[in-house]
Amino acid sequence: MQIPKDAALLRIFIGESQRYHGHPLYEAIVMKAREMHMAGATVLRGPMGYGRSSRLHTAKVLRLSEDLPIVVEIVDSQEKIDELLPALDGMIGSGLITLEKVQVLKYGNGPVA
Amino acid sequence: MAYLWVAIGGALGSMARYGCSGLVSSLTGSALPYGTLLVNVTGAALIGLFAGLSVPEGRGLIPVSGRLFLMTGICGGYTTFSTFSLETLNLMSDGEWGWAIANMVGSVALCMVAVWLGFAAGLELNQVRGA
Repeated sequence: MQIPKDAALLRIFIGESQRYHGHPLYEAIVMKAREMHMAGATVLRGPMGYGRSSRLHTAKVLRLSEDLPIVVEIVDSQEKIDELLPALDGMIGSGLITLEKVQVLKYGNGPVA
Repeated sequence: MAYLWVAIGGALGSMARYGCSGLVSSLTGSALPYGTLLVNVTGAALIGLFAGLSVPEGRGLIPVSGRLFLMTGICGGYTTFSTFSLETLNLMSDGEWGWAIANMVGSVALCMVAVWLGFAAGLELNQVRGA
């Protein structure tokens, strides 16, 4: 699998306690991306954050550590990202989704683009 | 039976702590462990009150099962030394030594004042009822 040099980076900001059909939402997103043969996906968990509700999440206070921030990053061609978006629509109830243009300099073991 | 009283009290106390610390955290919007401080201080006042009410020379208001339920169960579940320890460790890990020391000294000092006030209030209530 290859990615064109001019690609797109999709970022999905959610909480780690969000679920989709009995599984963690971030897991469901990665599985959906893999099923659709996206080039790759990475899940990151943040130690602190807040979102639209202004509710603070932090690993430092036990009571506020139940829903730490999760960011799922997916890089692929704009066309592949466009295919994925409708599938994600029905999965992500609340969250933030951003899209930006990126340049792919290297992907896997392949030659430098 | 003792374990049953402790179990019921512990369950109620823990749920009250979960609710309380959640409320405090959302109200203060702070990354400092004020919720844990509040449950520990109010729990200390409560156990002091129950202890004051059940001193031998008091009115014998609270039977053994009641003390197990209220003190070991409810107060035990409501307060949390383990969370206090963890959150202090978290402050230390982030290099916030000032807050870590303030949390340790402040928690112990405020809890001692609270348990003493609660105990004194319990003794006072004994007097009122004995009059």
